[in-house]
Amino acid sequence: MKSLRRDFSGDPSTANVTSKVFVRSTKSGKVQKIVRELYLRQDIPCSSRLCTICPSVAPTDANGNIVPFVLSEQPAGTTAFPRGHYIVPDTNALLNGMDLFEHTGAFYDVIILQTVLEELKNQSLPLYNRLLALIKTDEKRFYLFFNEFRLETHVRREQDESINDRNDRAVRTVAKWYMDHLRAVTKSKKEKSVPAIVVITDDKENLRKAKEENVTALSLENYVSGLEEADRLLDMINESREAREAKEARGELFYPEYYSMSKMMTGLRAGNLHQGVFNVSPYNYLEGQIKVAAFDKPLIIMGRHNSNRAISGDVVVVEVLPKDQWKSPSTKIVDEEVVTKNDNPEGEDNEAVVTERERRALQEEVRQAHGKNLEGRPQPTAKVVGVVKRNWRQYVGTVDSTSTGSQTSGRRQQNVFVLPMEKKVPKIRVRTRQAADLLGQRILVTIDAWNRDSRYPTGHFIRSLGELETKSAETEALLLEWDVQYKPFPKSVLDCLPSEGHDWRVPQSTDDIGWRGRRDLRDLLICSIDPPGCQDIDDALHARKLPNGNFEVGVHIADVSHFVKPNNAMDLEASVRGTTVYLVDKRIDMLPHLLGTDLCSLKPYVERYAFSVLWEMTPDAEVVSADFTKSVIRSREAFSYEQAQLRIDDPSKTDELTQSMRTLLHLSKILRQKRMDAGALNLASPEVRIEADNDEVGDPLADVKTKAMLATNSLVEEFMLHANITVAAKIYSTFPQTAMLRRHATPPPQNFEELINQLTKKRDMRLEVSSSGALADSLDRCTDAENPFFNTLVRILATRCMTSAEYFGAGAHAESEFRHYGLASPIYTHFTSPIRRYADLLVHRQLAAAINYEGEDGRATIEGSITRNRLEDICRNINYRHRNAQHAGRASIEYYVGQALKARSEKLAADGVDSGIEEDAYVMRVFENGVVVFVPRFGIEGVVRLEDFVLPSDEALRAVEERRELVTRRESDFDPEEYTLKVSDKGQQERSVCVELFQRVKVNVSSVKEETGRGVGKRRVRILILNKKK
Amino acid sequence: MPLDTSTTYPLTKLRLDGRRWNELRLIQAQISTNPASSGSSYLAMGNTTILCSVHGPAEGRRGDATGGSAGSSGAVVEVDVNIAGFASVDRKRRAGGSDRQSGRIASTLRSAFQSHLHTYLYPHSTISIHVSVLSADGSVLAAAVNACTLALVDAGIPMPGLLAGCTAGMSGSASTPRDPMNDELDPLLDVSLPEEQELPFLTVATTSVPAVGPDGDDDDMKVSMLTMDSKVHHTYIETMLAVGVDGCKQIREILDGVIKGSSRR
Repeated sequence: MKSLRRDFSGDPSTANVTSKVFVRSTKSGKVQKIVRELYLRQDIPCSSRLCTICPSVAPTDANGNIVPFVLSEQPAGTTAFPRGHYIVPDTNALLNGMDLFEHTGAFYDVIILQTVLEELKNQSLPLYNRLLALIKTDEKRFYLFFNEFRLETHVRREQDESINDRNDRAVRTVAKWYMDHLRAVTKSKKEKSVPAIVVITDDKENLRKAKEENVTALSLENYVSGLEEADRLLDMINESREAREAKEARGELFYPEYYSMSKMMTGLRAGNLHQGVFNVSPYNYLEGQIKVAAFDKPLIIMGRHNSNRAISGDVVVVEVLPKDQWKSPSTKIVDEEVVTKNDNPEGEDNEAVVTERERRALQEEVRQAHGKNLEGRPQPTAKVVGVVKRNWRQYVGTVDSTSTGSQTSGRRQQNVFVLPMEKKVPKIRVRTRQAADLLGQRILVTIDAWNRDSRYPTGHFIRSLGELETKSAETEALLLEWDVQYKPFPKSVLDCLPSEGHDWRVPQSTDDIGWRGRRDLRDLLICSIDPPGCQDIDDALHARKLPNGNFEVGVHIADVSHFVKPNNAMDLEASVRGTTVYLVDKRIDMLPHLLGTDLCSLKPYVERYAFSVLWEMTPDAEVVSADFTKSVIRSREAFSYEQAQLRIDDPSKTDELTQSMRTLLHLSKILRQKRMDAGALNLASPEVRIEADNDEVGDPLADVKTKAMLATNSLVEEFMLHANITVAAKIYSTFPQTAMLRRHATPPPQNFEELINQLTKKRDMRLEVSSSGALADSLDRCTDAENPFFNTLVRILATRCMTSAEYFGAGAHAESEFRHYGLASPIYTHFTSPIRRYADLLVHRQLAAAINYEGEDGRATIEGSITRNRLEDICRNINYRHRNAQHAGRASIEYYVGQALKARSEKLAADGVDSGIEEDAYVMRVFENGVVVFVPRFGIEGVVRLEDFVLPSDEALRAVEERRELVTRRESDFDPEEYTLKVSDKGQQERSVCVELFQRVKVNVSSVKEETGRGVGKRRVRILILNKKK
Repeated sequence: MPLDTSTTYPLTKLRLDGRRWNELRLIQAQISTNPASSGSSYLAMGNTTILCSVHGPAEGRRGDATGGSAGSSGAVVEVDVNIAGFASVDRKRRAGGSDRQSGRIASTLRSAFQSHLHTYLYPHSTISIHVSVLSADGSVLAAAVNACTLALVDAGIPMPGLLAGCTAGMSGSASTPRDPMNDELDPLLDVSLPEEQELPFLTVATTSVPAVGPDGDDDDMKVSMLTMDSKVHHTYIETMLAVGVDGCKQIREILDGVIKGSSRR
């Protein structure tokens, strides 16, 4: 019998075959031994543009293309490496300094080894993904070198060699090979031009061995020290692991340990533990909530000890506390900067997890909760026992000036606290060498870790956005906080634009390929109605009478999908951005300017491609038939809402265009009535509009206007809604699994419980929440004759009780779940704003495929199809972006209002009076030590603390500092059942101010500069409740 | 977590075992490994290792369910596939009988060879093929086809040409229509186990058709088996098939060499 063992000795072709053997353990605890073949080769390129050999042997893809070489022939030099250098980072260098590698000022021409990439993937998936993104961008010149497959650089693990050591050896081997290789290929040229190969590693052993083997190796810190701007860059290194371990060894542990993964999994399965997203209350930084499936009401997590290092947004596992510790949500406003003002960032030794002040703040809470048990109000509480997924991001904040040491002059490293703008995030301890420079700056930091031995999370500095309160810094801060992609479009995106640029025109001849499948609607009297100054005109309308007495109504939407083809760079960029973000003075576009404001925009007097929805409607607005077509239109006029309204109202205008607008208005009113009858909600949000016309003379506040609702607003809105609904039904019938739809889930009744309670108690009004129709009716009845704003206030509060609408793929929910609660429509999507929303662009593609439109190249039907997974990814992203865009817009308005108030007070200060402005406000929430009021004039809501109540005894309005002192003297009497708060000076109850929920109060609004705390330097809108009652 | 092909392939144009898109794994084969059988072979494609032995053609068994009428027009091919418990990463205890995977391989092989062999020469007889998978590292069916061909040649059973099998996959999930203008995915020849688990692939087996007439082309090939278990958008099938067929051609030459080499010895 012959031996069947694989014998490699005789065959020369087998010389390059080796195998990789490794052992891994599965989730269930099984141990697997994996044997993989490796084919070693010599044609893996070095990817240096200097190289003369590699381009001829580099591997090609199926089409015969070579991956372009990335490493520059003249890499940047430093003082240590004047001839330029390529960087070869080790895994730990990437783990500790990913922010550095992403920095645009340094770290170009980096060789990422397969060994390192694989090790990084094992250690941290997010970092792996960030590294992949870096490799894919061209600017940074990162090259992924498959060293394990190159014969010369392949390293076999030796007997008794740890994997770590082997990997380190692999890195050194590559460095050596690169040196020899580059020297060999550039032999003809001058020796000088050969760049150095620099290994970056934080492993001491590796550094030592590199020295022995004559390989240039530096620790990340040493390398960065040799760069320009070293101080700034050094701060971007993660706190080194060694330092952390050393501290742990000292054994000062403030927080309980997390459960092991397997214990958590068992607990979750058994139902003892619950998983959810940790959310910190906006009014009390010590209180968090978590929504889990097992309980109707959210679980409350009280205090630092129970929240156990979780940060708002983390996915955590919690354990419910025994019933005697259950309590009701906080009725008190607790601000971190007030309570922990004097913590010392350097001294760790005398820290306790819960400081005395915090304990006092909490104790009052508990006592109160017990008093209220009668009503059965307490909610279950829980403690965090583990974190499944951290959702840490980069935070914008300011250095707490009180935390910097006195000797800020030197370049000594020191610990400082950074106060994030987001109040829900605790302060972050950051080591920096530039504390003095950073004071008074808006800075970006990230959290590296939060260990048991540290009261606060530790992080590192990334970069400075600029001086506080400068427009550019504050705008950038706002965009970063809401994760808005605001960088200019990269070249690859701009390359996707039509080469004609602004000179692009609809082809003259209707035989042109661009006209294929398009209907000629140029002779229709189409017009657009938008907010004043609108440049990206998405939609236009027309109506005309048909011979049979019915009307033809058309909604024409910009044909963006003609210009944005799926999966090209522009499409991918748009899908990441998800939506255009509107700030007061800035617009962050989803699509490049050329498309958004010119080629796609349905500007008047020019021909444009459009996607049209045409209905035949009876005079009673019953739809006879609907038709969809790609078209070419010519808008006759672009109106603003006011202009359109004036033209409709002007009886002297009898031209056809005006007549058709009147028809549209008439039909829209019927449509609206029908929708209302079906139970659509008329919701309200506190919106103001800012007209930034920059007149220096007038009152700056004159720009702040509450949004006026004209009939023409609702005209456009009705037809857009109608178009969206019609399109939704059409694409759903064609793509039952992958249609892009939008739904608004019916809110669970318990969401309204508190509001119902409040209305019943204070106003004896009932809110019916059984259906949207019932809610709409009962909201209509919530009126106060003396107080016209009351109804809007209730609507605002009701809106907050609801879930938010979301995009989804049709396959993700049962058809009965498609309902849009607010619009009372069984199915809905977004079709009408493709210039500014990515969802609409997808819907356009789907609709084009649904009507068998072929397009110029016959591929439109292919473009419409999408996989469910991809669709789900897109939905998740655009839901997130959409929400953030709204928040960013609101924050921008808030900032602007603050600035306007400031400008006003500065103007008035010349006269020596800084009195703020008096306005009406309404009480939205009542706490034990303050109230939240809403000021409709400015669309802002703000917290009013005890010291900001102006009592009858107070004559003048005092300065901030004086008021702050008042707090120690103030006393309050809070009645949680009646939602009232009585404020007085201690021992002087007779002179008191009493406020209750929904009450209208006179307030004084002014803008003050914060001297300490989170908002340092940021303008805060200060609201004082005045004694005068109406 | 190891790296995956769909992420790293576009960056380096190299697969996870260091091959390019159009490279086969190392194939090693021997015939006449088991003197006790009529014909036998050993074949390794990468780490996939197969032992195959052929018995017969022999007289059909009596008491056959078909009452001996089976095979009246030609020999019946029986295939029995046994995947060893230690063949894959997790050791499986198999209670003797065949599981689904081996059953499917067996029936595919049976129908492939039943039509491929010149069975009409042996009426009322049975050709039984035993396939043992010693180690499974992707492309098991293709390797089994090749091993059977070798063993059948060793047994001297006439066939029109060598039946050679190969797999072909795509370097991404390929679930959306192929964009002819912007072809991002490459086909991959001879997929290994990690690739099989991640990517769509098909198995194809072809035979060369003997030259007919003066214009007959020796390279004419006939696809005699094609299976695919994964989902892929139909626009990619053509590419995958072309690559697979090309792989079969390379494999046939290797098998040819093995046969010729062994007769010389």
